[in-house]
Amino acid sequence: MSKDYEPNIVAFLCNWCSYAGADLAGTSRVQYPPNINIIRVMCTGRVNPLFLVNAFQQGADSVLVSGCHPGDCHYMEGNFYARRRFTLMKELLEFIGVDPRRVNMSWVSASEGGKFKDVVEKLVKDAKDTGPFEQFRRNKINW
Amino acid sequence: MVDLEKLRQTAKDIVSRDDVKHIIGWKQGTYGFRVEPHFAAEPDEADALTFSPLCTNNLATYLTLAEKLPVPRGEEPDTRKVALMVKGCDSRAVVQLLVEQGLTREGVYVVGCPCSGVVDVKKVEKMFPDILEPAQAYWKNDQIVFQLPDGEKEVSREEVLPQKCLLCRYPNPVIYDELLWDEVKAWGSEDYEDVKELEAKSPEERWDFWKDKFSSCLRCYSCRNVCPMCYCEDCVLDRLNPTWTFRSVNLSENTSYHLARAFHLAGRCIECGECERVCPVDIPLMKLNRKLYKEVVERFDYEPGIDPEATPLQASYRPDDEEDFIL
Amino acid sequence: MNSKPKIGVYICHCGINVAKTVDVDEVTEFSSQLPYVKLARNYSYMCSDPGQNLIKDDIANEGLNRVVVASCSPRMHEPTFRKTLIEAGINPFFLEMANIREHCSWVHQDKEEATEKAKKLVAASVSKARLLEPLEEKEVEVEPASLVIGGGIAGIQAALDIANAGFKVYMVEKTPSIGGKMAQLDKTFPTLDCSACILTPKMVDVDAHPNIELLTYSQVEEISGYVGNFDVKVRKKARYVDMEKCTGCGLCAEECRLADRIPSEFDAGVGKRSGIYLPFPQAVPAKFTIDPERCLFLTRGKCGKSPKCVDVCTAEAIDFEQKDEFVEFKVGAVIVATGYDVFDASRKPEYGYDNYDNVLTGLEMERLVSASGPTGGSIALGEGEEAYVPKDIAFIKCVGSRDESVGNEYCSRVCCMYTAKLAHLVKEKIPEANVRIYYMDVRAFGKGFEEFYDRVRREGIRYIRGNPSEIFKRNGRLVVKVEDTLTATPLEDEVDLVVLAVGLEPRKDSREIIDLLRLSQSGDRFYLEAHPKLAPVDTATDGVFVAGCAQGPKDIPDSVAQAKGAASSALGLLASGRVKVEAQVSVVDEATCRGCAYCVEICPYGAIEMVNVNRMGHEVQVAQVNEVLCKGCGACVAGCFSGSIQQRSFKDRQILPQIAVLGVLR
Repeated sequence: MSKDYEPNIVAFLCNWCSYAGADLAGTSRVQYPPNINIIRVMCTGRVNPLFLVNAFQQGADSVLVSGCHPGDCHYMEGNFYARRRFTLMKELLEFIGVDPRRVNMSWVSASEGGKFKDVVEKLVKDAKDTGPFEQFRRNKINW
Repeated sequence: MVDLEKLRQTAKDIVSRDDVKHIIGWKQGTYGFRVEPHFAAEPDEADALTFSPLCTNNLATYLTLAEKLPVPRGEEPDTRKVALMVKGCDSRAVVQLLVEQGLTREGVYVVGCPCSGVVDVKKVEKMFPDILEPAQAYWKNDQIVFQLPDGEKEVSREEVLPQKCLLCRYPNPVIYDELLWDEVKAWGSEDYEDVKELEAKSPEERWDFWKDKFSSCLRCYSCRNVCPMCYCEDCVLDRLNPTWTFRSVNLSENTSYHLARAFHLAGRCIECGECERVCPVDIPLMKLNRKLYKEVVERFDYEPGIDPEATPLQASYRPDDEEDFIL
Repeated sequence: MNSKPKIGVYICHCGINVAKTVDVDEVTEFSSQLPYVKLARNYSYMCSDPGQNLIKDDIANEGLNRVVVASCSPRMHEPTFRKTLIEAGINPFFLEMANIREHCSWVHQDKEEATEKAKKLVAASVSKARLLEPLEEKEVEVEPASLVIGGGIAGIQAALDIANAGFKVYMVEKTPSIGGKMAQLDKTFPTLDCSACILTPKMVDVDAHPNIELLTYSQVEEISGYVGNFDVKVRKKARYVDMEKCTGCGLCAEECRLADRIPSEFDAGVGKRSGIYLPFPQAVPAKFTIDPERCLFLTRGKCGKSPKCVDVCTAEAIDFEQKDEFVEFKVGAVIVATGYDVFDASRKPEYGYDNYDNVLTGLEMERLVSASGPTGGSIALGEGEEAYVPKDIAFIKCVGSRDESVGNEYCSRVCCMYTAKLAHLVKEKIPEANVRIYYMDVRAFGKGFEEFYDRVRREGIRYIRGNPSEIFKRNGRLVVKVEDTLTATPLEDEVDLVVLAVGLEPRKDSREIIDLLRLSQSGDRFYLEAHPKLAPVDTATDGVFVAGCAQGPKDIPDSVAQAKGAASSALGLLASGRVKVEAQVSVVDEATCRGCAYCVEICPYGAIEMVNVNRMGHEVQVAQVNEVLCKGCGACVAGCFSGSIQQRSFKDRQILPQIAVLGVLR
């Protein structure tokens, strides 16, 4: 991998906790690397694990699903379902040889702007260490 | 012990009933070691039914695969029961379909066939090539006896059973309305050795393994079509809007397909091994399924296809599900 | 409606907030080249009137049918721009926002990087915008009634405000009387007006109000439904006294074989009551209740020859055959005003609360100094001949508050002032007493608080900064071991009475309400408000409001203010008579639904059910979403293997293009 390699991280954030936490990071003018691109969903429960597969196919080097801490879900249970589904998909991806550092989940509450920064920094560092994702990336992207 | 007389008589009695549409069982195929599904709607059609170590097919697939033709105006749909012959593994598909409301308990009449393991036809064909005439087989203690044109051949079960049968923990149907003969003693144990072996390798080695397998995939979709749990009429992987997986056959799309297939079976796969059996390019699909099966058992203490009252794994959670990997 | 998308992209400078780190012109130029984009503009403040007019004019003149605003977080201004679209005559859900401020310009410094990222975010929003669909915001009717859970001062105030506005109120109180903790207080700080004098008229008002149905000694068993339409089931516990017949004369309590033998809850255990009792003289309703856990007849089936209460009750109101009853009704709004528990001083064993009779909690002291208390307001300790009047009295503050060791990091907000008040009352009743207060900080933040604190100090009450480490007994007296941290002097202070200024805690049964109403808890375990600043009486559950100490420790004026806030929020709902429900809800494609019912199992709101449909002559089961119950989380969508259930505005076909855009442009 070249020194200039900048990883591309696709993140799915729930509206009520992690997206708000990322907003708070902004409001607090916390600085973090720009490699993370956020897609807003209302709840991590909405995140179909196949989104992760799709993101890897479409050029993501690392993915993140982030939601409310257990028990704090705005919809009560969404993050519990998300956690179970994510667990299965993470195991599956690792089993076929995807580096575990590319498949991430975090709990970031609306008040954890600082934690969001920490998560992003860790992911970017890990992604730089693991290098560009090539394993089953689409060659020609057609959208 | 397998009692074909009883099997046929029972089937005749069942299809004679007013509330039964037909019975789905196995019959001798047209060549070699092949056995094919048989739908007997009339008593005399039941004579062709058989049961032997060659009866590999999981017939539960036909519970959902059977096409529901449009009902002509003024006619009533046929709501009679479907009778089904099941081995242990097949019966778990029935249970899982009940869990997922794919059928009602009243809508199906389950005829249980305790089973001592069915053969891996590919192994048998390798062992006895060029057998074109329909051949038969039966169980004899720990052997399987093949009746070939040049006489009977005894082979040990280990030599011809697929892995899923060697490890089988449910040789007896877990759900049935009627059991054809005595239950057999379960022999299998599960230590997921094959899964662990691959897990122990580095990510690069694992990818090398799967890259090779996925690259060879033809995307014939046999694995999906044969699977009793893949019963969506409109599979997301066939859809164009949105397109989850492109139709082109290449490593990226093939991997995406196999990940989606395995993921959709997590907590649902009942280990019948049909996907692997029908794969024309020998992709070890059960390895993917068993990996997730292992996680489901170990992490969520869940086993699909056992309890018809269970809540589906992916439609449930426990607040204290493991989350050591979450940041 | 489904004509070819014509997207307008609007990049906001947000003054210099965005423009400082993002090259707005470059992003505008880039955006104008994106597929389906008709035009792209930038403006200093898109949320301002001229900014919004820009959008409206373009919709009118350029025929835009989709709008992308790249500015701050959608959590901030999505409602603003949706309104703009409505005013311009297009569906408000044809809006997509790109968050280039909180998620970009504010968190990155390199202008080139930030600009590139802003482009990506805009492109992703554009890719989704072209696939947006018009949605209809449904309205449901609101049942013109409300439920108030808890009959303390917060609940009372909320109930009165709603009832006075002309709406029906059901007030459910767990104990036999309303009044709550405020009824137990003697005087209130800092004005020293008599608590009962200001509270009891309100209690009577509640009882007499034609719009209020008071359900005391009752508990909410079930609440189902949604904003505007909650179905409530309440259990009225058996009182074993016929409410209609009881005159409240009190003969029964006097004659009860257990008279003066049971610690009175109202007197915080300082006084005693009977097996049949009125919690306190001014209780509302003024009807007696038999304690089923103590009453001899109810626990042993026998009470002398015949229960004395039955013998003396001329109204024949005693009814041992009474059973729990259930009441069911519908309300449009719910106010949770369940209050708090006092910190259990036993959890600070170093203070000897369990061991020494002359270590009291603030609430016990309150009953002791109260004219309506068991001693008639005289501060006498000990019994009979050993009775004495304490001379040296120490107060210890922050007991169970600001204390990580007991899991309460928060400040209870009332202890500083109630300690000052109690110290003042002690000094008033025992002028020669030496009163000192051990404190960590004095927080006299409210109206009149600092003045009161000054006054108390001028009365000769000593404030000593120090957190006592231990209380033990020596020569029959209590010794408070403490370091005066202002002079760094270790002290062993001999006293006759120690009063622990115990803090406020979430109720031990607070889980019941959480389960009933799906509330959340904040870190301090009190109920969580929807927004700490802008929605302090709302909860995450629409139509459910919170008031008083259930939400966090507060004093009476704050509780009343919050109760009035909650009441006005509830009234807003009741008065309008209609409420909008979430539009971005799930919808099932009947044609492909396989009827597996995963979604039914997953839905936290019970919003999905299986229905029979006719598919080419066959009866099949498919899922159906009740759009009023659906809150739009999308958990069902990700759980549907066939993709047959989709969330409006968050469909797979709307999210996958975003993934593609964010991936492709690395």
